[in-house]
Amino acid sequence: MAYGLINSDTMADSSGGIMSPISSVMRNRIINGSMVIDQRNAGASVTPTTANATYSVDRFVFLASQASKYTAQQNAGSITPPVGFSNYLGCTSSSAYSIAAGDFFGFKQPIEGFNTADLMWGTANAKTVTLSFQVYSSLTGNFGGSIYNSAGNRVYPFSYTISSANTWTTINITIVGDTTGTWVGATNGAGLQVFWSLGSGSSNTGTAGSWGTTGFGGATGQTSVVGTNGATFYITGVQLEKGSSATGFEYRQYGQELALCQRYYERLDGVIFQCAVGGANRETSWRFCNDKRATPTIVLNSAVNSPTVDSSFTTTNIVSVYNGTGNYFSANIQASAEL
Amino acid sequence: MYKLLPNTPLKNEPAQCILRLSDNAFIPFDPDNTDYQAFKKDLANGVALQDDTGTAMSAADITTFLQGLK
Repeated sequence: MAYGLINSDTMADSSGGIMSPISSVMRNRIINGSMVIDQRNAGASVTPTTANATYSVDRFVFLASQASKYTAQQNAGSITPPVGFSNYLGCTSSSAYSIAAGDFFGFKQPIEGFNTADLMWGTANAKTVTLSFQVYSSLTGNFGGSIYNSAGNRVYPFSYTISSANTWTTINITIVGDTTGTWVGATNGAGLQVFWSLGSGSSNTGTAGSWGTTGFGGATGQTSVVGTNGATFYITGVQLEKGSSATGFEYRQYGQELALCQRYYERLDGVIFQCAVGGANRETSWRFCNDKRATPTIVLNSAVNSPTVDSSFTTTNIVSVYNGTGNYFSANIQASAEL
Repeated sequence: MYKLLPNTPLKNEPAQCILRLSDNAFIPFDPDNTDYQAFKKDLANGVALQDDTGTAMSAADITTFLQGLK
């Protein structure tokens, strides 16, 4: 008996209940695609710098060749999110900046190699993927982005169209997997990076729809958001999945999404306190809520009585904080192991 | 700009991280940590490094220090 193949986004049982024909486990390679987690800023606005390490919502890092050309914020502008979503990531242009050839502005999500190795990019068995998202802009036209490898020397610029201003638009982009180049496999390095452009110069753009060695900044001819003062660009429902068609967004429970984010960044805003019990130093240890991708960078904010990090920490899950003066100390702790 | 840390006061062991002075970030000597990767690039590009007393290190001392890192 021969068996056929069912291709469907949803299947319903006889009572109308929805059955998923596709396993939801790790279907969406994007973390925080619904923009619900914002550990760093709790919804406050940020202004990206040229350090290329500014985060708004978790896992989405902003890139800028010039500082202060736009701001980013969870739910910027307080518009109504698209149906099915409660949050979005919003970018707002701060000026009418004329882009130079070497400029780039936008944001990306690097995806860890452990979560992309099965795509087998860089081999003859490379799998096709589909990127989908909901986007809203005060501008219309062709917009762009790219997918590229950790070294930035295998790049697929993509283009998409927003036809109606200030309207949520669904975008689906199918990308045939790269059969050449070097792609990080099942490691904690950056397996692939997805970039959305807010404007890039000619030196950083490329032909949409094909693999090349340059053009991480997006597609040639794309709209520049930073070129119009006050222009907006909002996005949510981001999903990258294996296959040649987009399926419904993979919703995760809040706790699951937070835990996924905490592999790369977490913060403890409670007071770290240690009573003086004698001796020259006082110490307390903190176990991360989730093991980190790598030994994280530790930052102590709002510190009292000059605590510092015990620099002997080498594990991925415990850090010790101590001080040498005062009867107690406190601090907010941030641990970052972003890609 | 970065600064070396003294031996750990609790165990008197060599420090296994560096202090980034711009934001007081403790960056571990982990090759997979992207801040550590940036630190090595910064030093190669001439960014200053202080010893644990706050004195600027010479280029030769920085080179020696880098050679001892992972």
